[in-house]
Parts: sequence; C-alpha cells; structure tokens
Amino acid sequence: MANTKKLSMKQRYSALTRDLDWESSYVSEEELFPHTKFEGIKIHDWAKWEDPFRLTIDAYCKYQAEKDKRLYAVLDGFAQSQGHLTLSDARYLNAMKLFLQGVTPLEYQAHRHFGYLARHLNGPGPRFAALCQSIDELRHTQTEIHTLSNYNKYYGGLHSWSKMHDRVWYLSVPKSFFDDAISAGPFEFLIAIGFSFEYLLTNLLFVPFMSGASFNGDLPSMTFGFSAQSDESRHMTLGLEAIKFLLEQDEGNVPIVQGWIDKWFWRGYRVTALVAGMLDYMLPRKVMSWKEAFELYFEEQMLGGLFKDLEFYGITPPRHVEHAIAEKDLLSHQVYWTLYSFSFAAAFTTTVPEAGERAWLAEQYPDTFNTFYKPRWDKAQAIIDGGGRFFFQGLPQLCQTCQIPMVFTEPGDPTTLCQRHSVYRGERFDFCSDGCKWIFDREPEKYVQAWMPVHQIYQGNCGGPSVPEVLAWYGIQDGDNGEYTGSLDHLDWRRWHASEPAVASTTKES
Amino acid sequence: MTSEATDVRKVGVDLQEATEDTRRVVEAIERDNEDATVSYLPGLVKIQAPGRLVVRRQTVEDLLGRPWETHEFQLAIVSYYGHIAEWDDDEIVIKWDH
Amino acid sequence: MQYELRQQVIEPRRKTFQHLIERYGDRGASRYEEGTIDVQATENFHYRPLWDPAHELYDQDYSALKLTDPYTFTDPRQYYYAPYVASRAELHESFGKTLGYLESRDLFDRLPDGWRTVLMQLMVPLRHYESGAQLVTVNGARFAYGTTVEQCLSYAAFDRIGNAQLLSRVGITAAGGTADALADAKRAWVDDGSLQGLRRLVEELLVERDWATGVVGFDLVDRMLYPLLYRYLDEAALLGGAGAYSLVAQHLTGWFADHRRWIDALIAAWVTDEQHGAANRSALGAIVTARLPQAIEAVTAVATAIDGAIDVGAIDAVRRQAQELTAALDATMNTEEMA
Repeated sequence: MANTKKLSMKQRYSALTRDLDWESSYVSEEELFPHTKFEGIKIHDWAKWEDPFRLTIDAYCKYQAEKDKRLYAVLDGFAQSQGHLTLSDARYLNAMKLFLQGVTPLEYQAHRHFGYLARHLNGPGPRFAALCQSIDELRHTQTEIHTLSNYNKYYGGLHSWSKMHDRVWYLSVPKSFFDDAISAGPFEFLIAIGFSFEYLLTNLLFVPFMSGASFNGDLPSMTFGFSAQSDESRHMTLGLEAIKFLLEQDEGNVPIVQGWIDKWFWRGYRVTALVAGMLDYMLPRKVMSWKEAFELYFEEQMLGGLFKDLEFYGITPPRHVEHAIAEKDLLSHQVYWTLYSFSFAAAFTTTVPEAGERAWLAEQYPDTFNTFYKPRWDKAQAIIDGGGRFFFQGLPQLCQTCQIPMVFTEPGDPTTLCQRHSVYRGERFDFCSDGCKWIFDREPEKYVQAWMPVHQIYQGNCGGPSVPEVLAWYGIQDGDNGEYTGSLDHLDWRRWHASEPAVASTTKES
Repeated sequence: MTSEATDVRKVGVDLQEATEDTRRVVEAIERDNEDATVSYLPGLVKIQAPGRLVVRRQTVEDLLGRPWETHEFQLAIVSYYGHIAEWDDDEIVIKWDH
Repeated sequence: MQYELRQQVIEPRRKTFQHLIERYGDRGASRYEEGTIDVQATENFHYRPLWDPAHELYDQDYSALKLTDPYTFTDPRQYYYAPYVASRAELHESFGKTLGYLESRDLFDRLPDGWRTVLMQLMVPLRHYESGAQLVTVNGARFAYGTTVEQCLSYAAFDRIGNAQLLSRVGITAAGGTADALADAKRAWVDDGSLQGLRRLVEELLVERDWATGVVGFDLVDRMLYPLLYRYLDEAALLGGAGAYSLVAQHLTGWFADHRRWIDALIAAWVTDEQHGAANRSALGAIVTARLPQAIEAVTAVATAIDGAIDVGAIDAVRRQAQELTAALDATMNTEEMA
C-alpha cells in the first residue's frame, strides 16, 4: 500500500470498489437487476450509499488470514492436549450441540444469500459489502464445524447436524426463520438479516454463548466465537448503513421498512428463545441470565440507543416489543421446560437443574422462578427420585409462524397458555403469540407453505409412525437424546474423570 | 463537552481480552476518552462512553511502539453499539447520528 | 493428576461426522471435507422464493448443467476459507511488493510508449471485465447446487474483484498515486471500439438466467483473453524491454493457473456425470456454439489494438489460441465417448 499518500483511505476504497461499476448499454438496468423493484422500495441514488467499512481485498485477506491462523492454532492445541477433558462438565456441550445444529446452518444460509445480494443489488457499494459478508459467513460456517469437530469425536449429538437441521422438529424454528428471510426480496432480506438479526439481535445470540464457552472451559468455541464476532461488527455496520440508506432514499420506504422491522424483530426474537433456554439452563457455570443479557444488549443498547437514533426517520420501536420485555422473566423457563419434556426426541440431553442452579435461578428471577417454575422442577425431581423420568407423551402443537411448541403464556398471566388463531382459505392456523399471528396475517400465502414437523410426522413423511422410526429418520443415535444423567456422555465423562489409574490402563489396552 | 447533557446516550465497543496488543488498544481508548468506563466479562472487555468514542491511531502507536493501521482494530473488536461514523487512516469514531 | 489425565488414551466414538462416515467410511476427514461435504440444505424448504416461485430455495434446476451427486466433484485445491484467504493474502502481498518495486524504480514511467498504451488503455480497463466476472460468478455461488461447487464459485468471485483491484492499483501506481488513470480506463472500457466486443459479451453474460451458462460463457472469454494478455504478452514484454508489464502479468498468469484447476475439474465432472453427462455435454455444446465465436471476435479486437500499439503478432497468437481452444473443447465434449 505504497499509494496512500495521494489517495485517502476513503478515496482509495472507493476507487477499488464502487468505481469498478459502469453503466450498462448493451442490456438495460431492468434486465441486469430484475429483483429490486417488486418490493416497492424506491432508490433514487445508489451513490449515496456510505461505505460502512473500508477493507479492500488485500487488507481483508491479510487480516482474515491472521485471524484464522490464531484460531486454528488454538483448535489444534486444544485437540492435542485433550482439552475437552477440562470442560466444566460434559453436559455443557448440550449448548454447543444446539449451536451446531441450529446456528451453523444459518451461517451457511447467510453465506449463500449475501452472495445473492452481491449480485442483485443495483449499487456497487452495497454489493461489495455483501460479497465480503458472504465469504465471512462461509468462514463462520467452517470455523464452527472445525471447532466442534473435535468434540464430535468423543460426544453425542454433533454428528449429523446438517441432516438434522433439515428434519428435526425444534430445528425447524431457526431453519424456517432463515428460509423466510432468503425467500423474501433482496431489501427485506437486507433488513431481516443485515439489520434485524445482525444488528438488533446478534449480540444477544453470540456474546452470551461465547462468554459461556469461556466460563465453561471451552476455549475453542470462545476463540472461534470472538473471532467470528470481529467480522460480525463489520456486518453490523452494513446492516445499520442499509437501514439508514433505505430510509433516507425515499419517504415511501419508511412504512415498508417499519413493517419489516416489526416482523423481523419478532421473528428473530422467537429464535433467540432457544438461546434463553441455553443460557439459563444448559451452562453448568452461569455467565449471565437471559434477563440480564436482554436488558443489556436489547433494552439498553437497542431500545435506549439505536431506536432513539431511528426516531429521526419516523421509525418506532418494533411492534410487540412490550411482550418481549414482559416475557424476559418467563421465557427461558418455558422454553427449557419444553426441551426437558421433549428431549427424548432431540439430539441433546436435558436434566433437572441442580440445587445450586435452582438457587441461582431464584436469585436471577425473584418474581417468577420460585412461584411458577421451581414447583415443576420439584415435581420432575420427585419422579426421578422414584426411579422415573418425566417426558411429555405425544407431540406438541406448533405455532404456524415460529414453529415453537405453543408453550408461551398470556401477556400478564404466566399461568394461562397463550393461543391465537387465524382462518385462511377455510383452514385454521394456530399461533403462540400476538406477534406470530400478526406476522402470519400479513402474508398468509407464505406461512401456509411451512414444512411443519409435527404435521409431517402425522402425514407419514418422517420415517414412520412410531417414535423410534422418526428418531432414526432424524439421524438421532443412541445416547444423543433424553436425560443427561446416565447418558452415554455422562458415563464416559465420569469414566474419564475417575481418578484411579486403572481407568487409564484399561483404556490404553483398547 | 456536549451541551445536551440531559440525554447523552452511550455508545460502546467490546474487545477480545486475549492479546497484549488489545490491552494497549484498551489503554489508548481510555486515554483518549476520559469518560469511558471499562468492565470485564469472561474473555471480553466492554468499553462504554457517553455520546462518542474514538480510537486514535497515534495513541495506539505510541503505546505499542510500532506502526498500527486502523484496520488492525478488526483483530480486536467483538461488537459495538452506536454508528461507526468514521473509519479512516487516523481514527475510528463511534457515535449516534441523531 | 492433571498429567495422568492427559496421558489417557481415549478412543474416539467416531472419527468424523456421520455424513462423511457414510460417504467415505469411518476415517479421519480433512478440514476441507468437514467444512464442505453435505453442508447445504437439501430438503424440506419452508417457503418458495418470492423472486422465483418456480424454484426451491436451493434447486438443481437453476441450471441445465447438473451433477447426480454434487459431492462427486471436489475442489482439487481443497480450499476451505482458511487456506483460501492465506493463499490470497500471499498473492496480494507479493503483488504489493512488485508494485512497490515498480514504483520505487519508476519502471512504469520507463515503459516504452507502445507498452504503456497497452498497459493503460487495455490492461487497466479490464478491471471492469474482472468486476463483471465477479458478478457472473457470484450468481453461481448463490444458485449452484451443493457446497463443493458453490464454494469454488464463491472464492472465484472474490478472486475476480481481487483481480479488479490489482489492475486498479496498477493504474493508480502508474499515474503517480492518483485515480486519474482509472477514469481514463473507464472511458476506454465504455467507449473504445477495441473493448466493446468484450463489454457487450460481459453484459450479455450478466443477464443469463442460467448461472452456469453465464459462468461457462465467461470462462470461454477468459480462456482467450488470459493467455493473450498475461502469457503471450508477458513473453513479448521481456523481449520488448517492458519489464514492468511482465512483472504485473505474471501474478495474473499464476492466478489463472490456480483458477483453471477447479473449473476444469468441474467441467470434467459435468461431462462425465453418470446420469446427466449427455445432457450436460449438449448444454455445454450450446454455450460454446453461442459464445465461442463471440469471444474470439472480442479478443481479436483487443489483439488488433495491441498490434496497433506494439506489433507483437497478437492477432496471430489469438488465431492459434482459438484453434487450440476449439480442439480442447472438442476433446472435453468427447470425454465420455473416449472413456
């Protein structure tokens, strides 16, 4: 970079990115960019796009190569030293199983579809930013796989993440979320993922996961996560620039964008419900509660900061946000109880929180835990003490929009299940919340297409009518599912950590 | 510094705690942003400041004792909130627009 | 205690992920394989795309060129993200060193006039050609079926914008660190007769609905243009005292050799595919019929301009290349019959 003396970073970046574009004359702009009209968004001047970061390919490759060198050194070292034995507990990995099955495929989808933006947006500035994000997302997909690959060799639930994402009931929650985004138009995708997901919610997803990894001895996941987040901060700038750009280009864009913010906040928020359960229940060593994370990363930073900024354009905080706020004391408990009840059909295990964890939960959730949720766990514990294990018999009813079982409660009443429904073309569809019903009602023709896992089982499309047949079709292997205590992972973990040398000598012989 | 002291929204940046270089960057930020508060989560340093936060190349270079491009901030940053108003050769500025 | 723990030999339950075990047996898999094979979703898509309701979100039918199993094709370079960016970091660093050297010795200024014309009016404007290549290629990255195929396209798209930036940096450096030459280059790309055949072709390929038709069509142009500009002229530059041209060209020749490895392998996989081989050969044949004459004509126009500036026999070189390429394509199309 010997030339910086003449061109500033900004000018050089512009010369090396957007200035590569030219106005076509052998084909029309319509033919060249056929997808950017149908959503009703009006762009008058693509040149007004502000490049949110200024990384040219040479600098990009240099810094990304350095990041990956550091990351893979950590992965190799951890594997060589059998670092998995120093985790806080084997059950910690349930969080990472959920992550690999549920989140990694989303990174991949983002990779593919930011490639779509890199082709289909008219403006060269956002196209280049999208291209960088596209290959960043491929990086995240692969570094996640490579990070968790070592655990896969010794523990259950990680072996068939890709097939499971396409088939397993609880994974249709994140899958349908992303399918929803990429099946939308390019601008909606940009707001759905670039803004709502990357900027509004990604911190809520990643930072607690990665701090949790750090706290539970999972150095590779922490390293991968923070390394991925360093790219994520670029993606956040893209998302924020995207929304400001759309809002500034035409006043007619404002209500369209507001509708997308309303939709995608709630859609994304429902996906993070799985994170809530993970954070409060799956980590043996707790980092922060869902409620705390929500208050910090969403209420303080987004509602208190970002939305004040967007007020300028006439944008208001997302519709139904008050329900999310009211739910912060309930969400993780309702979700994890559901996972606990249905984990016979999951590729992770669950268990009753230990006494110390229950005390922590009571402390974090003084208004709700002891009143509403501790009694459930006491009951579950009593069943275990009697030699049993509670599992829900039968299949749950799923929300047609978010596809989470209908387990959430009425706003203001934690003891009554919330049920909404709409009728479309003579058929009844059920929803877990006002937010999900509202989303369905604005695009029923889209949401009726959803591949609903429970319906599919009943229709005989999932390997057969019995639970073992469905589990086989899911790719679930012995030891992946059910109760953690006494599971294969648990037994192995105990054997590996039995202190007598006998263990070492017997395993050596094998 | 700012007249509208009544409602100064915070901005912030989270950095990886991992390396010696990052620690110097944190020091530089503290030096250039007197109102900044620094807190720690596992693996993470959170820096917050009211209204505006700046990372200056010169200060980082003074502390590191070597040349440092602002692009190198990529290696340390985990997340931020606010708007990246400027990212050029000499400084990175995070603030809210409106 | 800790020491003993670490000495334990723990037999792994499995050596890799289940889908790799099913394909290759329970052996240790490479990072390329784990990060690539069976990664893309294949079933139970929830919604049809609003922008193309006739297709699924991932669908073989986005192209006439198909593989029975996309994972029978793998990247011969085995690039996943980490080795890919490491290799490109090296490429750009070494290119940066070349530029620094050329600048410090004023070698661009010392180019013979004719060569400077070729560099600034033909080579630097091709930054737009590369930018067009990026768009055509990234379309494939989105719409190709299977991670092995799209991953190659994704890196190729990134490569092309990288090439566009290399050429732009040549323009910046040769114009004393300003963007003046880039403005001239864009004028040349948009207006100069010698480049209009190329530009027309690029724009037409950009609007091809079938992603592979765009990518393969572009490849035909590449296979005419790269050998001329970066190999044939490299030789001529050494003889003609145009060291700066040669030093720049070698980086692009090196890149093109790397690029050919995956695209040749993909074309070979298409023509030999057990189920779709015959249909693929006929689809490829149609692309060649439609685009090769156009490519030859467009590159001949470039060669004519080159010979006008430096008279190095570029037109003859293009004629020979066209014959070689036609023969090579015939051989490719007949691969199955020969096997």
